[in-house]
Amino acid sequence: MPTVVLMDASLSMTRPVSLEQCSEELQRKNLAVAGLTMLFEHMANNYRLEFTSLVAFSSLWELLVPFTRDYNTLQEALNNLEDYDKTCLESALHGVSNVVQQEWGHACPTQVVLVTDGSLGIGKGSLRHSLQTLKGRPEDKKFPLPFPFPAKLFIMCIANAEELQMTDTMHNLEQLLQLNGGDGQIFTMEGQLCLKSVQSMFGRLIDEVYSPFPAVLRCGNLASDVQVFPRPEPVFLDEEIDPMPRHILTDLEIVGFIEIGDISSPPVMSRHLVLPIAVNKEVDDVGPGTTEEPEEETSANQQAGKIPNFCVLLHGSLKVEGMVALVQLGPEWYGMLYSQADSKKKSNLMMSLFEPGPEPLPWLGKVSQLGPISDAAENPYGEDDSKSPFPLQPKIKRSYAQNVTVWIKASGLQTDVQKILRNARKLPEKTQTFYKELNRLRKAALAFGFWELLKGVAELLERECTLLPDTAHPDAAFQLSHAAKQLKLASTGDSQYAAFDQNINPMHTDFSGGGAGM
Amino acid sequence: MKMFSVSHKTAFVVDHCPYMAESCRQQVECDVLTKSRGQGMIPLAPVSKSLWTCAVECSMEYCRILYDVYPLRKLINYIVSDSEFHILNSWRQEDQSTHELMSALAAVGPPNPQEDPECCSVLHGLVAAVESLCKITEYQHEARTTLMDTADRVANRGRIICLTNAKSDTHVRMLEDCVQETILEQNKMAAGSDRLMSIQQCELVLVHIFPQGEDTLVSDRPKKEVSSLLTSEVHSVRAGRHLATKLNILVQQHFDLASTTITNIPMKPTLNVCEQEEQHANTSANYDVELLHHRDAHLEFFKSGDLHMAGSTSRDSGLKETVTLKWCTPRTNSVELHYCTGAYRISPTDVNSRPSSCLTNFLLNGRSVLLEQPRKSGSKVISHMLSSHGGEIFLHVLNSTRSTLEDPPSISEGCGGRVTDYRITDFGEFMRENRLTPVPESPDTEASGKPPAERAKAQLERYTRYWPMIISQTTIFNMQAVVPLANLIVKESLSEEDLLTCQKTVYNLVDMERKNDPLPISTVGSRGKGPKRDEQYRTMWNELETLVKTHVAGSERHQRVLDCIIACRSKPPEEEERKKRGRKREDKEEKAEKNINKDSEDKSWQESERLKGVVERVKEEQGESEVIKDSPDSPEPLNKKPRLEEIQLPEKAKGPVSLLTMWTNRITVANSRKHQEFAGRISSVNNKAELYQHLKDENGMDLHENGKATR
Repeated sequence: MPTVVLMDASLSMTRPVSLEQCSEELQRKNLAVAGLTMLFEHMANNYRLEFTSLVAFSSLWELLVPFTRDYNTLQEALNNLEDYDKTCLESALHGVSNVVQQEWGHACPTQVVLVTDGSLGIGKGSLRHSLQTLKGRPEDKKFPLPFPFPAKLFIMCIANAEELQMTDTMHNLEQLLQLNGGDGQIFTMEGQLCLKSVQSMFGRLIDEVYSPFPAVLRCGNLASDVQVFPRPEPVFLDEEIDPMPRHILTDLEIVGFIEIGDISSPPVMSRHLVLPIAVNKEVDDVGPGTTEEPEEETSANQQAGKIPNFCVLLHGSLKVEGMVALVQLGPEWYGMLYSQADSKKKSNLMMSLFEPGPEPLPWLGKVSQLGPISDAAENPYGEDDSKSPFPLQPKIKRSYAQNVTVWIKASGLQTDVQKILRNARKLPEKTQTFYKELNRLRKAALAFGFWELLKGVAELLERECTLLPDTAHPDAAFQLSHAAKQLKLASTGDSQYAAFDQNINPMHTDFSGGGAGM
Repeated sequence: MKMFSVSHKTAFVVDHCPYMAESCRQQVECDVLTKSRGQGMIPLAPVSKSLWTCAVECSMEYCRILYDVYPLRKLINYIVSDSEFHILNSWRQEDQSTHELMSALAAVGPPNPQEDPECCSVLHGLVAAVESLCKITEYQHEARTTLMDTADRVANRGRIICLTNAKSDTHVRMLEDCVQETILEQNKMAAGSDRLMSIQQCELVLVHIFPQGEDTLVSDRPKKEVSSLLTSEVHSVRAGRHLATKLNILVQQHFDLASTTITNIPMKPTLNVCEQEEQHANTSANYDVELLHHRDAHLEFFKSGDLHMAGSTSRDSGLKETVTLKWCTPRTNSVELHYCTGAYRISPTDVNSRPSSCLTNFLLNGRSVLLEQPRKSGSKVISHMLSSHGGEIFLHVLNSTRSTLEDPPSISEGCGGRVTDYRITDFGEFMRENRLTPVPESPDTEASGKPPAERAKAQLERYTRYWPMIISQTTIFNMQAVVPLANLIVKESLSEEDLLTCQKTVYNLVDMERKNDPLPISTVGSRGKGPKRDEQYRTMWNELETLVKTHVAGSERHQRVLDCIIACRSKPPEEEERKKRGRKREDKEEKAEKNINKDSEDKSWQESERLKGVVERVKEEQGESEVIKDSPDSPEPLNKKPRLEEIQLPEKAKGPVSLLTMWTNRITVANSRKHQEFAGRISSVNNKAELYQHLKDENGMDLHENGKATR
């Protein structure tokens, strides 16, 4: 989940903070920078796989740092931020929208952290003006929210709530959130504007959005402490019936294993890295002696690398065997673990989340009905691994798999009639195919109430009968006239002859004895 | 989409009145004469469909597409109306198939032109449709039962598609009014019933069908609200091709479908499944096939607004939008796991055309095709994949944008990444044994209590009760001779035969010990200085016992396997137990006098005796260090290092350690560096046994005698 930090660089940010107890003069901008510095530091230490970019805006916007994991670069750009003119949020949001779409497309959930002092401009280009003119805009001048990609908007106000409520700023910001589909939150500072309160505000953001997701991965009695990155988002199912968000469990329990060929590129909602983490870090933290600390730390890391970890074992075997592990994420919610290669050398344990529900993949059936192979009377994979119980076959075949009859286009009807005639000319060798095609046509004609066709085909067969060459097998004539007669009877709608499930059977003749057939 | 949206229930009402028997006046030449045979023959008069035939075949096409894309949860109730209504199927899932409907339609037959038109009306059918919409479906019932208190969240909405030949706009209004009144009436009835649900929303789609060449008497009208419960729209369509197109558009609108045209499908002989019919097999023309599917498969295109860039074209005189995707020749194999963000069932628009059936048969044979998004810039973006799973074809959406998870730290850089002797092959074998299989739902499985997935988890639990992760942590799993027992002991229950096999395995091990066969542990960097043979066997027996002990609670036969091991193994475990207990007692007595240093050291020794894994690890590290320090100059640290580990490691494994223990450990270690070590400890290579040599000898003798005496 990439993050865009949208930093207000307008002149109003340079307003000094009135402080009684503090001697040093601070600008709002300094507070914002302090808050963001805290965020970047946190990410560099605890959430370093997150891609973050920095956009500054006033009446114009500028991409200062494109998406990166290099938090030093971000920090540097932040420190060198200059002051510009007035605030124009709309164009800046357009900018964010462009930056994200260019980098990640439209499916990638993104976090936008807007840092502003809450003076959102005056007159044209101000947020108030933008919101007032929402309706009746032409297609190419639409307000940038909601973003074309799933986005959470976090508004960090370098101001306290009372200040914002005195004007209509709070109201406007709330409206902004609503435009984004309600996804996001407005953070304000509590009490006096000072370093402490800005840090507490960013602390709340970090806790809510950028804290690592710890979990335990279990396979029976084997287990490993892991971090799941990025944090799995809560999922809403049918909001009418099930309006509660679903969270994944912190206890990820493996149900069993399936071959990659059997699970066959399933659709997933999101993908997450599963990174093993050291268990007793606390013990290391209380290590004695300040002088020895760096040494202790490296040895602790090395120690962690040397202690066998279940994740590494699992990853290695999944990779070698070409399998995935089915993992339970919650009640009626599953996912899969597999080895994902980033390059030739690097590979990782990855977890993909399926859509919540008892049967996320039709070709596996209900997951709760998947049991150990020892439950089956004989090994469904065969003694030599030559078979597989997957994929499950649907009870009813799809139309394209069952030779349905469709005559909507004239060509469909013509093809079917020609097929019958072609086989009619090759009687008696093609007797089986002839009757198969004839019965298919008969069934469809009866269902569609298309009796005229039955009469027509009967006449065609009678004509074919008269056109038979002298060399033709005598059986051919018998079968043709028999079929024609049966079709005619069916075309009367007489229930005796026009039953849908009834078939016209080949006439029983016997020419093998050389005598007369009838 | 909401589960119980309007499209959960669709009632088809098809007019079966005498006027529907009228010809649609669109003629089909079904006697296509070939040139060679054509001479002097009078071709058969062309046939033409009735309005009824047109209505039925187009409605069946609507159903075909619907059932292909939504085999479940989208239900159709088919009603035919003449002098009375005929309901051809129910909402039940097993009634939902085109075959069922065709069979029922054949029984109805075409309308009887002789019937009195005064008695016939489509109204009977419309009333029946409203009544039917009030009937609860099995899905609604299930949802209501599971929700209990909030059962009212389960909505009841539906759609009525009426195919008829209306007289005039006034006639249409009369039909709308009738539906509206019936809804109000039925809702009153439903309020007092458990099996009925009142209708919250109903969409009436009236399709007026008229023959070719006639002017329509009914005007088209977009959707309008008749009341808060009912909306209505009117489509006035010529029978035949136009009606088919209209219903195709309607099914797309009603079920959020979109169209994709696969282009550039090569007609190679290898792909050509209809060869026997192909007369010009050599012409390798590329052909196109149009597919319908849920429109979310195009989400990325909609959002980016590059529908046009993706090759959207309008077909069928601008009525329909389709996205063009190009067949991609490097085919994919099934063992590749693509990052796929969605998979949607498809239905070919022209199901039995040759190109369609060639494509679908190709896919049904188990092959997959990647699809490429045509772009003006020339860059190749693979955005979709067609693949079949068990006779169903899905359009997979592949992620084609940059991944946020790129360049992660490799697993070898993290925890446990430096360990090189994981039992990868063994765990692979374990995974194969723990593969899943679908278990048919039956009353039997209900009776046994646990659902299959829970049983699978229980099996994993049993199989992993004792499962060392690295090769140097285990002896028994490196021994071929133990395999039969190790495979059987994890089973939920053992047969008499299994028990026998286990016992044989144990006897076999006893035999090996007697013959003094080498064990696999000794090979790891022993260089002749490794543990003695009898020591190896003791470790092996201990490990085997640990394994079997974890399963003893399983059954009486599991217990008998353990009994067998205890009876046969070289050093009965009671002896060790007693020895330990004896020592503990000793410890307690002496504790007061002993200094902290000694005490903690002793503790750690006990720890290392109890925690098998730890002992094993110590050994491993010892082995390692011996390998690394493979130089004549370094015998000294060789002894020191493992000892250091011995003291620290057990603490690590225990988890949180008190500051005191840690401190004393550090002091102990520091002190131990300063003074001369005990002679006994120095001479020991494998630590514990040598250290308690005297104890073992004395007690061991006693116990052996005792053991014999009791037996």
